[in-house]
Amino acid sequence: MTRTVRILCSLLAALAIAAPAIAQPGSLKLPPYKKVVLKNGMTLLLMEQHEVPLVSFSVLMKAGSVNDPAGKEGAASMTAALLRKGTAARSADDFSAQLDFIGGSFGAGASADATAISAEFMKKDLARGLELVADAMLHPVFPADEVKKLAAQRVDGIKSAKDRAAGVIGQYYNAYLYGRHPYARPTGGDETSVASITREDVAKFYETNYTPGGTVMAVVGDFAAADMEKQLATAFAAWPVKPARAVALADAPEVKGRKLLLVDKPDSTQTYFRIGNIGIARSNPDRVLIEIVNTLFGGRFTSMINTELRIKSGLTYGASSGFPEWKAKGPFYVNSYTSNANTEKALDMTLDVLRRLHDKGISEDDLKSAKAYLKGQFPPDIETSDQLAGILSELVFNGLDEREINTYYAKIDAATMTDVNRVIKQYFPLDNLVFVLVGKASEIEGAVKKYAPVVDRKSINDRGF
Amino acid sequence: MRRRSSWLTAVAAAAILAVTAPPAAAQGFDIRTHTLKNGLKILVQEDHSIPNVALYIFYRVGSRNERPGITGISHFFEHMMFNGAKKYGPGEFDRNMEANGGSNNAYTSENVTVYQDWFPRSALELIFDLEADRIQNLSFNPEIVESERGVIASERRNGVDNNNFGVLAEQLSAAAFTAHPYQWPVVGWMSDIEAWTLDDLKNHFKMGYSPSNATMVVTGDVTFDEIVALAQKYIEPIPSNPPPPKVMTKEPEQLGERRLVVRKFAQLPVLMMAYHVPETAHPDYYALQALETILFSGQSSRMYKRIVDKDQLALSVGGGGDWSFDPSVFTITAQPKAGIDPAAVEKAIYEEVDKVKTDAVTDEELEKAKNILLSGFYRNIKTISGRSNAIGTYEVFFGDYKKLFTAADDFAKVTKADVQRVARQYFTANNRTVATLVPEAAPAADKK
Repeated sequence: MTRTVRILCSLLAALAIAAPAIAQPGSLKLPPYKKVVLKNGMTLLLMEQHEVPLVSFSVLMKAGSVNDPAGKEGAASMTAALLRKGTAARSADDFSAQLDFIGGSFGAGASADATAISAEFMKKDLARGLELVADAMLHPVFPADEVKKLAAQRVDGIKSAKDRAAGVIGQYYNAYLYGRHPYARPTGGDETSVASITREDVAKFYETNYTPGGTVMAVVGDFAAADMEKQLATAFAAWPVKPARAVALADAPEVKGRKLLLVDKPDSTQTYFRIGNIGIARSNPDRVLIEIVNTLFGGRFTSMINTELRIKSGLTYGASSGFPEWKAKGPFYVNSYTSNANTEKALDMTLDVLRRLHDKGISEDDLKSAKAYLKGQFPPDIETSDQLAGILSELVFNGLDEREINTYYAKIDAATMTDVNRVIKQYFPLDNLVFVLVGKASEIEGAVKKYAPVVDRKSINDRGF
Repeated sequence: MRRRSSWLTAVAAAAILAVTAPPAAAQGFDIRTHTLKNGLKILVQEDHSIPNVALYIFYRVGSRNERPGITGISHFFEHMMFNGAKKYGPGEFDRNMEANGGSNNAYTSENVTVYQDWFPRSALELIFDLEADRIQNLSFNPEIVESERGVIASERRNGVDNNNFGVLAEQLSAAAFTAHPYQWPVVGWMSDIEAWTLDDLKNHFKMGYSPSNATMVVTGDVTFDEIVALAQKYIEPIPSNPPPPKVMTKEPEQLGERRLVVRKFAQLPVLMMAYHVPETAHPDYYALQALETILFSGQSSRMYKRIVDKDQLALSVGGGGDWSFDPSVFTITAQPKAGIDPAAVEKAIYEEVDKVKTDAVTDEELEKAKNILLSGFYRNIKTISGRSNAIGTYEVFFGDYKKLFTAADDFAKVTKADVQRVARQYFTANNRTVATLVPEAAPAADKK
């Protein structure tokens, strides 16, 4: 980057310490890193990157919202948010004051499968930064008043989110799609469950689910790995041995037939919709092939779905599709929105595009274009310390390693027409579809009843999703 | 998927100002410049750490160059720049870029329209060909104009009508400015969106899209010489027009508080207030940045501690200014909790502002603000894309990219007295507009 930093980098490279160069055209390799497993079972991943004087932390723990006790949905998410709200050594105010004083960042939250902590500090403040991360992870005390305060904020936060359909359609969709499966639960909980969460619930969630076993911490940035390893080992050595709690999680079955949920938001001038079914897990061996097809179907600006709904017809500002990869099978969805009057037209068009994908498949030229696109867009995804820390922790947390990145281009190159056409039939739903719409029921209900034999209804003001 | 064209409102202001005060450490940035014969200035920063390039083109044209009747035309035009030219017809710009591994986006503000291309080095020459084609020979197909009108109506419904913060921010600007063009929304009023004509678009192109009215920033796996050679080949032959007419209107001094209410179906209220402050290039920029950071940045900030944490009056509170050529506003946004009267939140905000006026900030707070701005600077320049944006933003709004390298020193000069002075000078009752969104149980049209 700067001349001086560059020279320093080449000196370091000459000393056989990790160099920042990541990719050459046509090939791509994750920079070297060191993996250390502490005696208590915690995994450390260390990678030096000296371009910018920052150090990034990414921690993943087996404490996702699937671990929430029934009726206490939101416990994982609240526990994560409360880590910084008082420790044995620091009040919530002290923690924030010390963090902000060094210009550091610290975030903690939960997804369905994991609790994630990410933090970043300037090199000069690394010692203090590490101290804050370790303190939050190992010694939170969850003061009762902080738990109560957060629960009240979260209940209002859900109400606020419901004032914007685009912000909650995902929760309604997952709840309706997954039914009784744990992935149906809103990660942040709902108005009722969050209001019921007490200090005891949070402390118990922490006690049960925050364990060195299963925890992966990646640290990437401007440091010397040997020194960093010592500091981390010292900081986390006192975490008592405990394996991760195993949560059995079966794949949700595909929804058979069609069903539709209409959430009435009477002030809506636009209908927000998601359509789809159960998708794929992180471990799916076809994931790169699916990524190629989804790029063409709904993953980039010129995708089939955006071309029809936006570029050609002007019905919407955006239409896309996705396959979030979770530990068990995640959702597949097509997502868009359009004016109340055009709701039926946009839904018909979406179904037509899905049908066309199945009937006509994709062309040789499309396949070539998607390959170039994915390869061309990937290097900026592994450009910075925080991105690399995120990728490293995610790989190892999911039982994978750098080969996943190092073979990515080769897997893209190897994809054939036969492969991608098989993937369309295998993973993209056609007749079995779940519809979730958030919009003004009195204006759209008549038009949308035709899509499914079962139509369920909710009001946006009803509690829950 | 990247979504084309975000238009910026006061809600996004805090995020925009995140591209901020850089440190002395950044002085090693090796930026080289060249100006083409047609007036286009090019800034290049070589970085070979990934085989990719971030190319940004800043046009000094935005909603401040519009007038009633064609509000939102700058943003509409931004969309049309992707809809076909002479060599690359409708859809070809995106299809060619993506098939060669690139992607793009663009954004429009009150002040500028910025085009962003992110691509592997191998697509470099194609990108110049694509950009030159649309700058020189954009086509205006009536059918495509109609279709794109629908896209923008949907974008507006998404960002304004179905977003309580969007609705209120729009009303706030409309009331805070009585004369200056910052009063209308970047996306445009719906009736204007429905009424733009082909001629309006053509006139806007002629007015704002001259090479001499643009700055190109290229960061990444390139050499200065090859960029200059490509620009000479593709861009230099394009003739320049005169720059857009100067915006002559100055917002008169505000002589008393303005208040407005929006009543709307909602579960929670929203509170916003706007204080008139000077343009970005004004010497008070750095003191206002310090004040903003001390009041709003992080959970240790004065406003968060008081309003969200201690008194538990609001779910969130934030504030900040916007990059601007003309005097603009510093906006504060808070969402009162359920059952809390927005007036109580408003009162607490004034009390915190008044504390700065009477007691000044502490040395520790000033030091903290400096550290936050420094780390924020590193975060902004750690990607080639972030660097292109930062270089271009400083060049355009301060008139010189080198301000990027002196900002740390400029910021270090800010004293506690400066922070106190700007709080006293700008954060007065007479200088503010206050907007409240009051929740209603049923939408207006459904009420009997």
